[in-house]
Amino acid sequence: MTDLADSDYVIEAKAITKSFAGVPALRGVDFRVRRGEVHALLGQNGAGKSTLVKILNGVHRAGSYGGTIMLSGQPVSFASPAEARASGVGYVPQEIEVLEQLSVAENVFAGHIGLGEGVIINRRRIEERTRAILDDLGLDLDPKAIVASLTSAQRHLVMIARALALKPRVLMLDEPTASLSGTEVDALFGVLRRLRAQGVTMIYITHRLPEVLAVCDSATVLRDGQVAAELTRAEFDEERFIFSMSGQRLQKLFPAHDAPLAARPVLVVENLSVAGRAGAIYGARDVSFSVAAGEIVGLAGLLGSGRSEILHGIYGREPAEGRILVDGEPIAIRSPRDARDAGIALLTEDRKRDGLLFNLPVSANITIGNLGPFASRGMVRGERERSAVRDAMRQLNVKAPSPQASVAHLSGGNQQKLLFARVLMRAPKVLLLDEPTKGVDAATRHEIYRLVVELADKGVALVIVASELDEVIGLCDRCLTIADGRVVDEFRRGEGGEDRVLRAVAAAQAESVRAAS
Amino acid sequence: MSSAAPATTEEAPALPWRSRVIGFIAIGEIGVIAALLLLVAFFYFMQPAFLSERNLRAILNVVSFVGIIAIGQTMLLVAGEFDLSVGSVAGLSAVVAAKLMTAAAWPVAFAIVGGVGVGALVGLVNGLIVVKLRIPAFIQTLGMLFIGQGLIQLVTDGYPVYPLPPEIGVIGTTNLAFGLGWSFAFFIVAAVLADFVLRRTVLGRNMYATGGNQEVARLVGINTSLYKIGAFVTVGALAAIAGMFVMADLGSGGTSIGSGWELTVIAGVVVGGVSLFGGAGTIAGGVVGILMLKVVQSGLVVIGVNSNWQQIAVGVIMVLAVGLDILRRRYFTVGAGARGGKKKPKSS
Repeated sequence: MTDLADSDYVIEAKAITKSFAGVPALRGVDFRVRRGEVHALLGQNGAGKSTLVKILNGVHRAGSYGGTIMLSGQPVSFASPAEARASGVGYVPQEIEVLEQLSVAENVFAGHIGLGEGVIINRRRIEERTRAILDDLGLDLDPKAIVASLTSAQRHLVMIARALALKPRVLMLDEPTASLSGTEVDALFGVLRRLRAQGVTMIYITHRLPEVLAVCDSATVLRDGQVAAELTRAEFDEERFIFSMSGQRLQKLFPAHDAPLAARPVLVVENLSVAGRAGAIYGARDVSFSVAAGEIVGLAGLLGSGRSEILHGIYGREPAEGRILVDGEPIAIRSPRDARDAGIALLTEDRKRDGLLFNLPVSANITIGNLGPFASRGMVRGERERSAVRDAMRQLNVKAPSPQASVAHLSGGNQQKLLFARVLMRAPKVLLLDEPTKGVDAATRHEIYRLVVELADKGVALVIVASELDEVIGLCDRCLTIADGRVVDEFRRGEGGEDRVLRAVAAAQAESVRAAS
Repeated sequence: MSSAAPATTEEAPALPWRSRVIGFIAIGEIGVIAALLLLVAFFYFMQPAFLSERNLRAILNVVSFVGIIAIGQTMLLVAGEFDLSVGSVAGLSAVVAAKLMTAAAWPVAFAIVGGVGVGALVGLVNGLIVVKLRIPAFIQTLGMLFIGQGLIQLVTDGYPVYPLPPEIGVIGTTNLAFGLGWSFAFFIVAAVLADFVLRRTVLGRNMYATGGNQEVARLVGINTSLYKIGAFVTVGALAAIAGMFVMADLGSGGTSIGSGWELTVIAGVVVGGVSLFGGAGTIAGGVVGILMLKVVQSGLVVIGVNSNWQQIAVGVIMVLAVGLDILRRRYFTVGAGARGGKKKPKSS
């Protein structure tokens, strides 16, 4: 291959377009990375970062998107992640994916453990080669160590070593600090600087500004599926990043809603602390807030900031400490059932994992957990259930072939409206919504906004977690900014925008980095 | 919005018909019942004696014992767990009841209640350990299978308990109709009742939810632990009842009662469309599945096939049935991979 000198750019993506079910995720993105630099790929959640990454590493096959990818000046088309890997696109995923019961060396060479030399594993050679890679990384890990004995930061480094074992032309790091503590982040930056000195080209995907300022040479900012800015290190400036990440966005229309004046608080949360779920290091710590009848409160913050954990703690899904009052009454919430009986309802974030029951039809999915009104002496009254389901489907405009249809074939938007119908069955006083518009089409998104405002007008207290900041800003009467499991800022409608949230988050991150070092 | 109106008028007549056909095929029992009828016709064609009164009675009698357990096993599978210890529990309950009414000289009724209590207790232990200690049901109930076998030997010293009080003989030999006795009557009543519970009651619906996705069930406020433990207790009690009917049939508390039933029961209900992964299947399906297995076993004997082939046939049928079931499901119902995409082009 003599193409190495042909182009200054190791990887180039030209005019990339990609839609999911008619919803555009990328709208003509040009992205290129110069040889030997650490290039940041920035953007809010939903800006299109992960879609672009999946195109570059072959998860979205060639042909499923528009535009071309060039590797060292040569057009390429990847049919699978394996092909991308073989062509020199290394990828380190955000989640730690290791084989726990195997050694570091076996993990590093997983998938090509024979080194292409036959069927017998040459343990010594693998260990030597691993040793060499670890040395390049400046790591003092034993290649023979069993991965189960390593910390999560060390496991992450093993995954980087695994990607480097194939000598990639470009190494993509997807949110590499998501599960690291402050000192571990510093250690990782040391590794990245070392790799850069050795001439490794890297793409650093993140939404954390301080990290970009710390290690990157240039940056591409995505917003709403387009490139909002391309900056070199000389142009780096926090304000500028915040401006291009939040800037002018696609106009979403939010229905008007006035915060209730001096309404009684329905939900009061005092000093709530929630342990992090497996995998997430931040739970919530010492969170206090209240929500009035008819008020819409938004929890803004990055993924993993503890937003969802706050909702889970209130709903009794995760063990939590602190006091929760509904209508002034302290409620002991030990399980979702307790929360539900107190008039709280939760719409979960992940429809497929913990929302829908794929073994039951549409109607049973709506009424499950709420069969009381349609039953007498323990028997479900079919006619009563059917008519309630028909009403709910009509009210929320759930489109399904019939109430007996399978939920698997409904569109994302209709699945979401179905789940709204379920949580509204009990006419809750407090409604907790975790990413209510995730993965739904634009029309449904709008219906959901209208529904939220309608519910607030009826006096329901709403708490909304949304990754798309414009949604929180546009829809909510009050916004709490969450970072590292704490409330770091609070403001009312009109007192700030997306930039205020991003600034508060960046300040909190800088703070925690300082505290750690 | 103009495109919405023609779309609905076009779909309105087509969809109910289509969904009805899909619904019909998607119902688990239809396939098994059709297969059962085909098999019966086949064996009758090969050897008309297959449908003789005597042979039918023999098949139904055996089905009644195993079928009683299958009812409980189906409920447990629907709730998302399963029990490998049912055979041991049947045997253990039988010999305990037999000992209570002979060595301990308890009145027969009390001894029977004691036997059922043993079964329910074992179910409770299984349920508590699986649900509270999160030991996989496979391990816990496999362990209980061995424990039960051991206890049978301990209780009996390896000898059948004999003779039993005459009332037991009466239970075993009563002819209610067509030469079928109390065990068959109990089986039918329990099956109808359990089928109704799963299909029509809040309890049944919550069991399907628990087996379909435990976390979702918990989030909507269902006490999933209670449902699972309850299902384990039910299986235990029903296994005990089946064991005692066999004891009555034999007229003695034999040490081999129930031995090997666990796999027959699971194979049967799985053939009947009950999912091993929870949340799917019906009592009717499970019972028909058991009936089908027994029809094949009996039919092969009647048409004169070497008895070793029975085992092979049972194995082949089970794998075939589950394979077809998985294909059917993939095609008609759950399609986590088949979302979005195809139904969208209306938006522009």
